[in-house]
Amino acid sequence: MNNKEAGQNSTAWRCAQCSGPLEQGKVTVSYLGNDFPVQELKCPKCGLVLITEELALGKMAEVEQNLEDK
Amino acid sequence: MIERKILSSTSSVCPECLAKVPAERVSYDDKVYLEKSCPQHGDFSALLWQGEPAWQEWVRPKIPTQPQVCYTEVSKGCPFDCGLCADHHQHTCTALLEVTQRCNLKCSFCFAAAGGHSIDPDLATIDRWYEQVLLASGTCNIQLSGGEPTLRDDLPAIIALGKAKGFNFVQLNTNGLRLARDTAYVQRLKEAGLDSVFLQFDGTEAEIYPILRGSAILEHKLAAIRNCARANIGVVLVPTLVPGVNTHNIGAIVKFALEQLPTVRGVHFQPVSYFGRYPKPPADADRITLPRVMREIESQTNGLIKAANLKPPGCENALCSFHGNFKVLPNGSLQALSNTCCSGEKAEEGARKTRSFVARQWSGPTKSPGSENAAQADQWDILLQNLKTHSFSVSAMAFQDAWNLDLARLQDCCIHVVSPAGKLIPFCAYNLTNSQGQGLYRQGG
Repeated sequence: MNNKEAGQNSTAWRCAQCSGPLEQGKVTVSYLGNDFPVQELKCPKCGLVLITEELALGKMAEVEQNLEDK
Repeated sequence: MIERKILSSTSSVCPECLAKVPAERVSYDDKVYLEKSCPQHGDFSALLWQGEPAWQEWVRPKIPTQPQVCYTEVSKGCPFDCGLCADHHQHTCTALLEVTQRCNLKCSFCFAAAGGHSIDPDLATIDRWYEQVLLASGTCNIQLSGGEPTLRDDLPAIIALGKAKGFNFVQLNTNGLRLARDTAYVQRLKEAGLDSVFLQFDGTEAEIYPILRGSAILEHKLAAIRNCARANIGVVLVPTLVPGVNTHNIGAIVKFALEQLPTVRGVHFQPVSYFGRYPKPPADADRITLPRVMREIESQTNGLIKAANLKPPGCENALCSFHGNFKVLPNGSLQALSNTCCSGEKAEEGARKTRSFVARQWSGPTKSPGSENAAQADQWDILLQNLKTHSFSVSAMAFQDAWNLDLARLQDCCIHVVSPAGKLIPFCAYNLTNSQGQGLYRQGG
């Protein structure tokens, strides 16, 4: 299963540590002193968050770029 | 008695005959001067720097990089071989195309000595210029300049041609007069792909314009900004700072720009430089140095922007500019974005970063597909949109004239004018004139 398919289905991913299903939940992402609340899949037990490759290399990288100086 | 201290050596030109001469950077207390001597025309001294941030601390060294393709050979040495030659140290960040020499203003200060009746280059010529830029510099940022480019009815076609060739960022350098009165034209520019307007904007006070531009045109500037807002074109306010005319207005310009977010993306100050005919060398009082602009920004904005948040550039020579990038917080204060620079960066990497930063920061605030319906929009899209509409930049670039020209800075230049013959000439070399107004490159092509 690739990340893209899994990222869109909250029941497809299970926590590597707790084995329970991941659920949508509030996550605070931080970069260079800036904090942003977002909704991502996370483990309700241990808080492990899933960041898909598509997100990490796509919009998340774009946000990082916007916070960086030249 | 103030001690004279030689800081370093470089080369320059004689302001009278433009012959290459040795020069020294010399400090007297907190002032730094360029001192040089021509065997024929005598000694010259020009103020380069004054006060904090200190000259010695304002550094950002780079590892030089050669142009990918050189249109001229090294023969007579800098600044006589521009094209670019293999001795140049930086890639093109912005290529400047002068699409007309005609102008509808008579400014006191003009790089281009515009206003003649020469025939505009046709589309086929501009096509060749774009191709020359592509070959030497790839898809760098493009600035369409002049003269006043909006005197051309076919400007949308020129923009569209650049976009079709793959140039990602096309900016228009304009006095804004036509943008103020011709909304259909603004819309055509937008539809052609125009990303940004580099708007000559010398202040928020009406009295400034008749002195600098020979005409009362503040209302036109405001209308131009409104029309760009309607068309979703980003605007950068570009004040030419002239001591005694508008240097008291620096803070008001910054505050006005912030009120115009997100259409206005930033302010880019240009301390006056002396091109054209100046039989008498400019005095210290005729110049405003970069450190003084930084201090004035801090004091005139009551600390909203701090001089400490303004940094040397990663692309051009450190002594040529400063910039600060900020996020506007909900309470109206500004959060400086971190500067991740380090020492000994590769010049080409600095050029790449700056190209992409300028394209991002100075473009219009595009609406994301979901921005009208926040509930359905992707949260990351909203975040990105928010960063775009709340980001703001303050920068300045000090152009060099025949008196303060430091050839080491010229070699690091990343803003290149395309000459009529399709060569790439560093901006300050292209506009360089001796005290009689005779140019080194502008007539030659």
